[in-house]
Amino acid sequence: MNLLLLSQYILLGSLAVFAIATIRIATRKTIAMGLVGLSGLSIAVATILILVQNIYNIGFCRDIAFALVILGPVGTIAFSKVLRG
Amino acid sequence: MISVIDTIELIKSVFLILSSIFVVLSAIGIIRYKDDLERVLYARIHILGVADVACIIALLVLGEPLLAASYFIFAPFASHAIANAYYYGEEKND
Repeated sequence: MNLLLLSQYILLGSLAVFAIATIRIATRKTIAMGLVGLSGLSIAVATILILVQNIYNIGFCRDIAFALVILGPVGTIAFSKVLRG
Repeated sequence: MISVIDTIELIKSVFLILSSIFVVLSAIGIIRYKDDLERVLYARIHILGVADVACIIALLVLGEPLLAASYFIFAPFASHAIANAYYYGEEKND
């Protein structure tokens, strides 16, 4: 097996573990923990989508990843303004 | 010429494996601390920064510099907004 493909699969697995960890953080009782968890989940899913695009040659994954990277922090900042009051 | 391509692939693989190690370490660190610990949110924001940088490096290696640069700009603003909202906000039981 190609070494680059193997390392991409390793990164895919570790990002899946990280996504599960951030989902667990996002389901804690306070709102700030939910913000932290979702901020981590958005970048994890974006990187997973870029990996899927590179491995399986699915082109539209890049557009979804770009939307996630832009809209994830924007939503976090907007909700933080609401949380601050 | 073939050896140059192999060397570039080797460097890419090393960076991807390094970023996957840092992502796993941050996944362990983000669920390690108990919720009743005082000001644990700042520690979790700090650990999230490690995962952010690892994902930025992975995106750069995978050939997406626009995504990496935009997240490199946006991520500190998001982390600062969360910490600022927690410091000045109404949640005191965390």
